[in-house]
Amino acid sequence: MAIREKHSARRRESRITFEENKPKAFEHINSVESSYRVYENDKVGIFYSIGEIDDEEGFARAQADPERARPYPFTPESGGVRKRDKSECEFTDRELLATAEEYMKYLTDNYPQFTFSGSVGTEWLEQSLKNDLGIDYVNTDASAGVGFNFKHKDSTDLRDGGFAFNVRKFDDGTIFRTMADLYLGNYETVAEIPEEIIIVMQYYSLTGGIMSELNAESLALGSSRLTGKVGEKVFSEDFTLEHDATDKEAWFTRFWDGEGCVIPEEKLVLIENGVIKTGISDKRVAKKYNVPHTKSAGHNYGDLPYVGGLNLRIRRSEKTMKELLAGRRAIIPMNATGSPIDSNGDMSLLVSTSLLWDGDRVLGRLPEFRVKANIFTLLGKDYIGVGSDDMKAFNDKAILLRMERV
Amino acid sequence: MSEKFHFPEGLYADIRIEETLSTGVCMLNGDLTRDSLMPETGALIRVYDGKMWYTASTNDLSEIQKELDALAELATPDPAICENPAIRLLEVNREERLVFEGENKLCNITRERFMKTLNHYVKECTGEPVPEVSSWSIGVEGTYQKKSFYSSKGSAIVYDYQLCSCGVFYCLTSDGQQLNGGKQFFGKTPEELLGHEKEVLAERDRYIDYLKNAVELEPGEYTCVLSPITTAMFAHESFGHKSEADFMLNDRKLRDEWVMGKKVGSDLVSICDSGELLRHGYIPYDDEGTKSRETWLIKDGVLTGRLHDSTSAAALSEELTGNSRAQDYRKRPVVRMTNTYLAAGKDSFDDIIADTKDGIYVYMVSNGTGSSTFVMNATVCYRIRDGKICEPCRVRMLTGSVFQTLFDIDRVGSDFEIFDSYTCGKMGQMVRVSAGGPTIRVRKLQVG
Repeated sequence: MAIREKHSARRRESRITFEENKPKAFEHINSVESSYRVYENDKVGIFYSIGEIDDEEGFARAQADPERARPYPFTPESGGVRKRDKSECEFTDRELLATAEEYMKYLTDNYPQFTFSGSVGTEWLEQSLKNDLGIDYVNTDASAGVGFNFKHKDSTDLRDGGFAFNVRKFDDGTIFRTMADLYLGNYETVAEIPEEIIIVMQYYSLTGGIMSELNAESLALGSSRLTGKVGEKVFSEDFTLEHDATDKEAWFTRFWDGEGCVIPEEKLVLIENGVIKTGISDKRVAKKYNVPHTKSAGHNYGDLPYVGGLNLRIRRSEKTMKELLAGRRAIIPMNATGSPIDSNGDMSLLVSTSLLWDGDRVLGRLPEFRVKANIFTLLGKDYIGVGSDDMKAFNDKAILLRMERV
Repeated sequence: MSEKFHFPEGLYADIRIEETLSTGVCMLNGDLTRDSLMPETGALIRVYDGKMWYTASTNDLSEIQKELDALAELATPDPAICENPAIRLLEVNREERLVFEGENKLCNITRERFMKTLNHYVKECTGEPVPEVSSWSIGVEGTYQKKSFYSSKGSAIVYDYQLCSCGVFYCLTSDGQQLNGGKQFFGKTPEELLGHEKEVLAERDRYIDYLKNAVELEPGEYTCVLSPITTAMFAHESFGHKSEADFMLNDRKLRDEWVMGKKVGSDLVSICDSGELLRHGYIPYDDEGTKSRETWLIKDGVLTGRLHDSTSAAALSEELTGNSRAQDYRKRPVVRMTNTYLAAGKDSFDDIIADTKDGIYVYMVSNGTGSSTFVMNATVCYRIRDGKICEPCRVRMLTGSVFQTLFDIDRVGSDFEIFDSYTCGKMGQMVRVSAGGPTIRVRKLQVG
């Protein structure tokens, strides 16, 4: 008997964009996209729709093209009703416009030696999953995103730096002003590159890379740098990585995966105290390679799910960022380009513009420099930690890593 | 067609409607993991009052007039809006240019035709086990887009574009070393993608040889011979972005730096952008309705042009170039490249190599960025000694000053190629582009 399932996302966005200190555009986006799925005889028919569509038509079109029914020899998930709303307020365009103007005024009044481009926007997103087996999940979230690039008037580059943050509701401007002052207040002071290179950054690009290395299919086929290392201690004792669907600090994350699975406790430890605990899999990969099914399917509205889409967190240290630094100084890269990680795990990084930070204050801007690092030592002997406190330069958690200057 | 919309008085407005069909099949290690057919229709409505652009996007084309009226309510009408310098520049064009019709229009290409091409490459390129191939994926995809543009000045433009692609990618491992590589090719139909299996296998074997035999290279300054695809990336990433004029409107320093007529490179260097070429960056009209044209950014080493939308062209008192582009109907257009290339010279590849006593041949790069110091990440390189390509060598990064490098180009090949495998990111928007160039030699680059 056919089982019907509908994944959908309803989104509202407003954004004001600035170019060279001036408001340039006010944009509105309303959209709805849906994925209609019909499971039958170990196959699934999928119809992707953007815009409003009648559900009966959506399901009929998912079923209409038997040639395009994908192999799917798995039972769809069953479940109950659950609705989670992580939003904290309803943003209005009036509030957005007033806030954006206030931010730009602060920048131009206090930092006339720079020009600024960027945007302030709000986004509301409702994601849902409903099927014939009783699942009725809804996740709602809303955030405001602020991002500005700056260029010094004496610079011949197109961009000298930038800062960005997200919040679930606008504060009185403290977060923005603090961040702007950190990046711009001492930008014109040229500081010296410290002997010990400690980079401080948000860690999402790093965890994204680890996620692909932990794909159970890559682990099984030998195309991951971590093949053969599950169960082994590969990284620092202080390094623990987990998927956390409950994460309040993450934006727009759902509590179900792309196949409708919910992880018990909604958490999955992938690396614990440096030891690789498990690879990640969806139903296809778990079956094909006879590995545990970790319910780690990414959401793909137009087609079959894929392995990925986790919300990865590095477990925070009990120490603050300043305590982790222990009197040393760290570098906040603003324009940096890294090479891909090679087969040995090595990579290079050209840091064109960066700031020197002592744990409280920015001490100045650094000249261009190059560093090299290795992914295994970076999260091994060169891993310092993720502070217990948020870093004001990101309004977010941050990671401290040692690198080698070349 | 524009007559069907009622444009508000005292405001400039335009409407861009996009009807897109994306389809494709993909096999990953023997499993069919993609089998998509994704239609999408939407419109972006823009209103300008001389101070701000107000935009809204919708998937419901019957709501366009309502959205237009709502935006007009937000704006402040200006009876002299047509005298606004940016609006005055905007062209009025009326043309229907639909190139793709019949059985080879994407909506008429059956899934079977895509599967036939996919199965061909699966058989030819994965049929025999190769110990170094630990993982593979092959995808055959197609995209068709029909774009319509209507403006309050009277433009009514409809055009279409279609591209199919096939990518064969391998993850190669040997003795704990790993390398990803592959080949991608383009055409208008799935059948046009056939016939490249020998190139794919040769490329795979080249990468296996590189994986097994590449030696570490002492970092330092080297003379570098860049392959056409490397030159293409240099032209786009390292130079092209700097020619987008929206960054310099009120910036005295940049405007002084980018004075037309200034010598910025060797006499051998000419760089062009043209949306007219029927390649991946093809746009007969940009997203403000401006007709595409050829814009020479550098001619014989002299700065001769830059890329504009109406705002930047008006601010700098220059002509429109047809480079106002948006990722899709959800986004407002900004200044973007189209098909950008460094023009061919006269030297043969063999002569360039033979003339290089000591250096690096950069065969493949993965990505690049351009600031004052540009960066290109190399994936496959070879040592050149005494005019011959020698052993493969590991190079992670090539860096240099953009303008110094333009002066340091001392040989330009005749082996010009255009590559359609690019999408370009800027201000959170990705657009399709192509980039091209011949083999070139640069006297020195920092290699490490």
